[in-house]
Amino acid sequence: MRFAPTEEQTEFAAATGALLADTCPPSAVAAAWGGEVGRHTGLGDGDGRIRAAWDALVEMGVNGILVPEQQGGLAMSLDHLVGVLEECGYSALPDPVADSAGVVAHSLGQCSDTAPDVGAVNDTLAAVAAGSTVVSGFGSSPLVASATTADTLLMFTRDPTRVDPDAPADPAADRVVLLDRSEVDLEPVESVDGSRALARVRWDAASGACVAQGSAASALTDEAFLVAALADSALLVGLGRAMIDLTVSYVGERKQFGVPVGSFQAVKHHLADAALAVQFAEPLVRNAAHLMSGGVAVEAPGSIPTDSRSVAVSAAKARSSDAAKKVTETALQCHGAIGYTVEADLHLFMKRAWALARSHGDSAFHLKRVRRQLLAG
Amino acid sequence: MNVVVCVKQIPDPADPGALDPNTKTLKRDVKLILDESDSYGVEMALQLVDTAGGGEVTLVSMAPNSEVGGLRTALAMGAAKAVLVSDEALAGSDALGTSKVLAKAIERAGEADLIITATESSDGYTGTVPEQIAELMGLPSITFAKSIAVEGGTVKVQRQTEAGYDDVEAPTPAVVSVTAGVVEPRYPSFKGIMAAKSKPVDEVTVADLGIDASQVGWAGAGQEILEIAAAEEREAGTIVEDDGEGFQKIVDYLAELKVI
Repeated sequence: MRFAPTEEQTEFAAATGALLADTCPPSAVAAAWGGEVGRHTGLGDGDGRIRAAWDALVEMGVNGILVPEQQGGLAMSLDHLVGVLEECGYSALPDPVADSAGVVAHSLGQCSDTAPDVGAVNDTLAAVAAGSTVVSGFGSSPLVASATTADTLLMFTRDPTRVDPDAPADPAADRVVLLDRSEVDLEPVESVDGSRALARVRWDAASGACVAQGSAASALTDEAFLVAALADSALLVGLGRAMIDLTVSYVGERKQFGVPVGSFQAVKHHLADAALAVQFAEPLVRNAAHLMSGGVAVEAPGSIPTDSRSVAVSAAKARSSDAAKKVTETALQCHGAIGYTVEADLHLFMKRAWALARSHGDSAFHLKRVRRQLLAG
Repeated sequence: MNVVVCVKQIPDPADPGALDPNTKTLKRDVKLILDESDSYGVEMALQLVDTAGGGEVTLVSMAPNSEVGGLRTALAMGAAKAVLVSDEALAGSDALGTSKVLAKAIERAGEADLIITATESSDGYTGTVPEQIAELMGLPSITFAKSIAVEGGTVKVQRQTEAGYDDVEAPTPAVVSVTAGVVEPRYPSFKGIMAAKSKPVDEVTVADLGIDASQVGWAGAGQEILEIAAAEEREAGTIVEDDGEGFQKIVDYLAELKVI
């Protein structure tokens, strides 16, 4: 098995990183903050978007990575996307690349022949590759990031984090639809991360263009949820790396007793532990992407056969959420009092990590999923 | 319109490596990247070819160990092909030796209406190669271009000066060096990155170019590096406590320098 990135995947990620270093500096992320939190912190009244970065990413081809060639995409796999998403996390890009280019493109690509409303699915896929903003939500009135600036929403009736695994609902009741933003009711909700542009989405499952229903919708919901959790994991790994780099840079500058505080073992050890947590999470994310891209799992001798894709994604989300939590604690501690201020860049990354660690199932939820599937096997 | 761009592949400035105490030159056995100052020339060339509505951009580079990392970046931006000169005999080449090789490589790249270079490389900084290439090829040379337009058989350049710019014209083909920051180099697209892998890189040796190896490298270098040493650290200045008479010390100091 090989789940190290290929040369091409590494080049895609590097090109994305270089673009975002120019177009998405921390000052741009801060300016994207909005709502009460934005006003309260004096950061700005942005709408959670950095258009210059988004447009440049679209032109580069990021949004079409998973879109089929017929719809103007590159028809590549999640293997190619995760490295790109890690870079989006690294720069704390607030725009919904993970949703549009990940969850939505992957889900719609799965049913571009079979959907009841094939026309709407293929039109939306082409729009995604061309830069249209499409976000996704699970459940009857979910909280959806970037919903207020989305052109289209891909809505799933079932929220997999709210279903009792011992008493699952009837799969026949599941439905997946595409809705124009004007067809849903949006209520802005404050998030700890002021650039998240969070909104509660109230929507009518009987309206919109039908993407899937019944058992097909049920399977698509499970698949989309795995991609969403995987995409969050990749963003979290990038955020973790960014916070470690920010902190290492800070403790190299900040002096106490005449020397940089980073020269003290207590600081070094904390940061080494945090870096280790991120480095242990990243291979799990790559492995999950490899399996989700159709890669073959190698079962360790004596291991229990499982639905390896589902277990791999849950392991990645649990580990990356925990790693991000560990890094935020360490970064905040090592920054000292300045870390608590909105003037320091750290909070932009920290608050995004807090939000994403809880998004699409937190660590405890995903660990339970892993346990249940291992025991069931 | 066909444009040849000379590009240098250099050690990543973010991870610059070190000087070799034996050869007294920069160690270049690390992975090399496209010199950022050359990305402006590549972008300028791509824009000129776009404006002309046809033709292609060809890269010319000289690098050790068949290095193509930086060339692939420029090919991903949109250049069509490259000529790479890689030969152990080239180690130690000075600016003139480099120019001799590049001039021959440019000829090998085919008919060109324009040859674009950066003003100087980010790791060598001699800033003489563009003019030497022009002289060796018998072509007009225009330096410090901030904008370039080609009309008919004439290249019109706004040449950056300290006060503003001069309008300069020359018949094509000509060698034009561009200053950094005059255009915004494009980001390579994913399709460009994939396409770059299959674009032709014509790798040649000194012999292939018909150059006598004694004219280049250490053998042909007209310069010798006698010594390399770390730059002196800046010394701390004198601190004067102002007891109300501090101004007098400044006056005395300036008088000592014969400034007043």
